[in-house]
Amino acid sequence: MIKILIVDDEKPICDLIDMNLSAAGYSCTAVQDGLAAIDAVENNTFDLVLLDIMLPGADGYDVMDYIRPYQVPVIFISAKHEVRDRVKGLKLGADDYLVKPFDVTELLARVEAVLRRYNKAEKKFTVGEIEIDIEARQVTRAGNPVPLTSKEFDLLMLFAENRNVALFRENLYEKVWDDEYYANSRTLDLHVQRLRKKLGWEKNLVAVYKVGYRLEIK
Amino acid sequence: MKFSQKLLLWTTIIIAITLGFSGYYFVNYVFETSLTREVGQALDENSILRFAFETAALNVPVKYDLLQDSSIEQIASNLEVRGQGTGRLIRISDEEKNILYASDGFETDGELLASVGEDKYSYRVIQLGGQYYIQTGSGVNALGRVLYLETLRDVSQVFEERRMGFTVYRRLMMLMLVLGIVIMYFISSRLTKPIRLLMRATKEMAAGDYSYRAKKVSNDELGQLTQDFNHMSEALEKTIGQLEDEVQAREDFVGAFAHELKTPLTSIIGYADMLRSRKLDEEKSLLSANYIYTEGKRLEAMSLRLLDIIVTKKEGAKLQKMPVAPLFEYLRSMFLPNQSMEFAFSYEDAYVLADYSLIQTVLVNLLDNACKASEQGSRIEVAGCLGPEGYRFTVRDYGIGIPEEEVSKITQAFYMVDKSRSRSRNGAGLGLSLCTEILALHGSSLEIDSKTGEGTIVGFFLPEAGKEEQHEEVYS
Repeated sequence: MIKILIVDDEKPICDLIDMNLSAAGYSCTAVQDGLAAIDAVENNTFDLVLLDIMLPGADGYDVMDYIRPYQVPVIFISAKHEVRDRVKGLKLGADDYLVKPFDVTELLARVEAVLRRYNKAEKKFTVGEIEIDIEARQVTRAGNPVPLTSKEFDLLMLFAENRNVALFRENLYEKVWDDEYYANSRTLDLHVQRLRKKLGWEKNLVAVYKVGYRLEIK
Repeated sequence: MKFSQKLLLWTTIIIAITLGFSGYYFVNYVFETSLTREVGQALDENSILRFAFETAALNVPVKYDLLQDSSIEQIASNLEVRGQGTGRLIRISDEEKNILYASDGFETDGELLASVGEDKYSYRVIQLGGQYYIQTGSGVNALGRVLYLETLRDVSQVFEERRMGFTVYRRLMMLMLVLGIVIMYFISSRLTKPIRLLMRATKEMAAGDYSYRAKKVSNDELGQLTQDFNHMSEALEKTIGQLEDEVQAREDFVGAFAHELKTPLTSIIGYADMLRSRKLDEEKSLLSANYIYTEGKRLEAMSLRLLDIIVTKKEGAKLQKMPVAPLFEYLRSMFLPNQSMEFAFSYEDAYVLADYSLIQTVLVNLLDNACKASEQGSRIEVAGCLGPEGYRFTVRDYGIGIPEEEVSKITQAFYMVDKSRSRSRNGAGLGLSLCTEILALHGSSLEIDSKTGEGTIVGFFLPEAGKEEQHEEVYS
């Protein structure tokens, strides 16, 4: 199981990240100040650290400086949104920088991406009878390859990462198409229909009234 | 061209012209005087010769009625010979101004004789073969003949002296000029030193060094200017420093504000998103809803406090004379029911100049902070006493205290020494900020004296109003 250390001085935020990452199948530990974070990294091995910057004890930059020799991937999560803060964080060796307030799906996607870069994420995973090879961007259904367009694949990834979570139309659209969502756009619905048909998910990929879609898999 | 060079150039020109003119005038004056003397002597000589000639003519044996030309020659030759050694040159002409006798070297034209009559004499200065002479002429009556006697007097010496005078003077002038230039160079560079120093100062300031001051090197107008300039740069430095501080403070405030705003927002948005998109069990739903509620409350508290600060800043304080007793009574009634702390109030009665509700806010905030910093049941002392500087309020607790390096920061907006502790009591980190703002309106400020683990004393002065009232009575 992949172990993630959450460092944030705000308990509500720690809990929020913890709940969501745990639901996505990660094992989480949360600490609320910089010195505790350093102790935690020294005494345990983590696959990823989510690090706030404004911390009591030692701030995020100091913590980053200290734990760098451990070669743990780090994502900064901070309310400091200015370019110079982000650049400073990334230059210190962080793998990503997420600005508060953040979207949970975005957090998950970034965690996934960083882990993938370190070859820590699973490269293949199965959802029901569908098998997804992330690196090759190939999908097989019961052993038979399913040809998917690039957008369809991105969409499938989002559903696969957020199983049993209702995903909002605007969220889906913005993540996959990287564009502003228009209320009457049918693009998303069209792609979802194609996915259902290609993967045989007519019953699993359900529409949630006034929200969007949810992938229901046991 | 530099000012000092201009000064030097003009002084040099003036010295040269003045020296030139005065020198020329002086040498010429000496020359004129000598020449006049020489002319006088030449004329004297002429008249002496005339008499000598006339006397000699009388001694000529009277053979004829008229003096013969040969006799004239004879007499003239004698006269010349007698004057041997003095370089006397004479010339005799007859009535028609034809030359009868002339010494060797007497080779001038007869122009002078044109203006010479029987009883008139005349002279002129002429140049002959590189020498200067005074030529004199006069009429001579001798034995019925009217002759003309001319003499030449060598005055080259006078001209030579003038030339020498000019040469010497020119050398002297050059020397004086060189000396003058050297001296003036030092003087002008000394005089313009304040200007150069000022120039450097302006350049330094233009380059952004507002702390640079020009050195004052003289006590004249330039020195005064330097002093004024330094005053100006001091004022400028102060203003710019203030502006920079203000900008920095504003940036810090905006940064802190954004942080304080985003933190609860992250929780609210995150939990709300979870509630709407996941099927959560009851415990998690409750936890999420509770977080949304508490973080929302936090935002509310923060926005209300911010509003307080903004309103206070905008409306200002209405200062009026008021007694301090009601303030302490109010605090007593508000805090004494709180059984978890031991409060001690002690105060001297007096009148202060203040805005009642604002000072009340300050004191409530300070007491709140004291409570937050203290263990349950510990003592909090609130006191008011009259001193020479005004009326002093103090709030003393025996709580955790403030680390020394944090004392200067605690009045900054959103600053909290212990975040988690403060958060759990719904603090936004704005209380002391508001207090500072209010006290600034009263021309006062917070004085914080704290020791970690021993407690904190926070105090401030307010102007006492009793005395002013007496003054008013005297003058009204």
